[in-house]
Amino acid sequence: MHTVQLVIFLFFFLLVTVMGFMASRWRRADTLDSLDEWGLGGRGFGTFISWFLIGGDIYTAYTFIAVPATLYAGSVVGFFAVPYTIVLYPIIFIFLPRFWSVSHRHGYVTPADFVRGRFDSKPLALAVALTGLLATMPYIALQLVGIQVVLEVMGIGGGTNSSFLEKDLPLFIAFAVLAAYTYASGLRAPALIAFVKDTLIYVVILVAVFYLPTQLGGWGHIFDAASKSFDAFNKENADAIASGAAAGKGIVPPPAAHWAYASLALGSALALFMYPHSLTGVLASKNRTVIRRNASLLPAYSFLLGLLALLGFAAIAAGVKVDNPQQSVPALFDKMFPGWFAGVAFAAIAIGALVPAAIMSIAAANLWTRNIYKAFINPAATPKQEATQSKLVSLVVKFGALVFVLGLGTQDAINFQLLGGVWILQTMPTLVFSLYTRWFHRWALLAGWAVGMVYGTLTAYNVPVPGKPGSHFGGPLQLVPFTDTKGYIALTAFVLNVLVAVLLTFVLRALKVANGTDETSPSDYHADAGDPGVEDVLEGEPGTAPTTG
Amino acid sequence: MSEPNARRTGGSWAVVAVLLAVGIVLPLLVGLYDSIEPRLGGFPFYYWFQFLLIPVVSLLTFIAFRLSLRATRKDRPTFGLPAEPGDDTRPSGSER
Repeated sequence: MHTVQLVIFLFFFLLVTVMGFMASRWRRADTLDSLDEWGLGGRGFGTFISWFLIGGDIYTAYTFIAVPATLYAGSVVGFFAVPYTIVLYPIIFIFLPRFWSVSHRHGYVTPADFVRGRFDSKPLALAVALTGLLATMPYIALQLVGIQVVLEVMGIGGGTNSSFLEKDLPLFIAFAVLAAYTYASGLRAPALIAFVKDTLIYVVILVAVFYLPTQLGGWGHIFDAASKSFDAFNKENADAIASGAAAGKGIVPPPAAHWAYASLALGSALALFMYPHSLTGVLASKNRTVIRRNASLLPAYSFLLGLLALLGFAAIAAGVKVDNPQQSVPALFDKMFPGWFAGVAFAAIAIGALVPAAIMSIAAANLWTRNIYKAFINPAATPKQEATQSKLVSLVVKFGALVFVLGLGTQDAINFQLLGGVWILQTMPTLVFSLYTRWFHRWALLAGWAVGMVYGTLTAYNVPVPGKPGSHFGGPLQLVPFTDTKGYIALTAFVLNVLVAVLLTFVLRALKVANGTDETSPSDYHADAGDPGVEDVLEGEPGTAPTTG
Repeated sequence: MSEPNARRTGGSWAVVAVLLAVGIVLPLLVGLYDSIEPRLGGFPFYYWFQFLLIPVVSLLTFIAFRLSLRATRKDRPTFGLPAEPGDDTRPSGSER
């Protein structure tokens, strides 16, 4: 047990929890009993708050734990998170303003709302909603792994001899706290906490990337140490690597891994803003300009993400030896920082996992309520019933994620996020292409989605964990069909998806199959805050009476 | 998409498209930067080049943002929108 760490950790954790509960009073509307108030924070955030909110999607356990862990483990494509967050912003810039406009004209709160309005198709909207719910769970699971490893390194739970309950109890407690304050405050809780979180995170990162290297002989030495360690591993395991039973390690991808690296970056970037939680953050911004301005401001986050990733190498240089690579950064902090500062750092990591977990579960809950509960189960639901459903489902989603953590191995947590990407990317043709054109046929899009989902899931299922033949969901990469190059499964499935959608659209259009009534008009995709018909704060019954411009 | 009035702002949007395309494609060309040498401050080329790409792409995106502001304003009447957002009589959302 590390007493000082633990006291400091608990102090910040409690501080944030209290703030979470108080957030329900901040800039509050008359009542949180409407879904728009609870689920979108009333939609009125300017550049500054939006910057923090969207940034919260980047700085998560993914950044602090999972990415450095892949570098620590010597994955040659581990640094892909940096090009991922570079190409992300030009991509955001292109299509998100259109999505903002059409959503604010018609009161869409979820991606599936838009699909229903654009294609007049309940099945397609349902497919998009279910994909969002499914894909969010492993992403939340990744956050839970982040909290788990921090607690383990502090000496709570874990250990090979401990019982099931002893091992996972701290995780359940942290989770109950998150669930409670999200339940009470909605999106306001994560928005307010984001300030504390980012302050803590910046302090920790700046210390980590400036202080740690000086203690470890500078970055040059850190890279050399990692390189030497990987060379030694490759020499020792030359036979296993040659037979494919183990993966070779390195600090730069060999030419054979270039497409793997680029496709992981591009696939992840395309996928991120298909997630319901990312779109929720975008819809909460005040106007279109905020989105584009942020697209050029957010890369500040990427820079720190890259330096954090390199802490995986720093852990090697510091001689950190952990069986689970996910523990490498917490173990590095434990080894190199005084107890009190390690406590601060652990709090930053844990809170940095809680905030996005809250945002993700709220967004997934909105999907359930609007696009499944209201569309199929109780069309006459009152706003209060809707808010109640969302609150309950946000709990369910979190427990679903908990099951993911307990059920799948946590050795390679980044695979959780990449698996979510395989699924969520299959909604992109429906969501993004149709922001520009109504050429695609709704049934063709649904068929493309189904093909992409089946191919992606089966392919990912059949990837074994290196060294464990017969195991499943062991990695995000597989040979691209008809080539001998490995690529990110999500992107391969996406290409298949688009091919099917295009071919079937030709067929269905030739057969003149009805393609539904489009409730949107061209001007909807350009309208800004203050324009006729644009609701900047949606109140009353959400989604029932779409306004036309 | 064939949007009317495209000629007036088409040039600006073409520049925006090129800027963004460079920002998306350049980081994905791994073969351009997959080497250890030359090092900079202890960082292998592979790493410092990708760090360098962050401000570069950020700048490209910022220029695209500035260009898009003007083009968007010019495009507005084409889509049946007032010249400036908020020109309608509806009170702006100050009740918050």
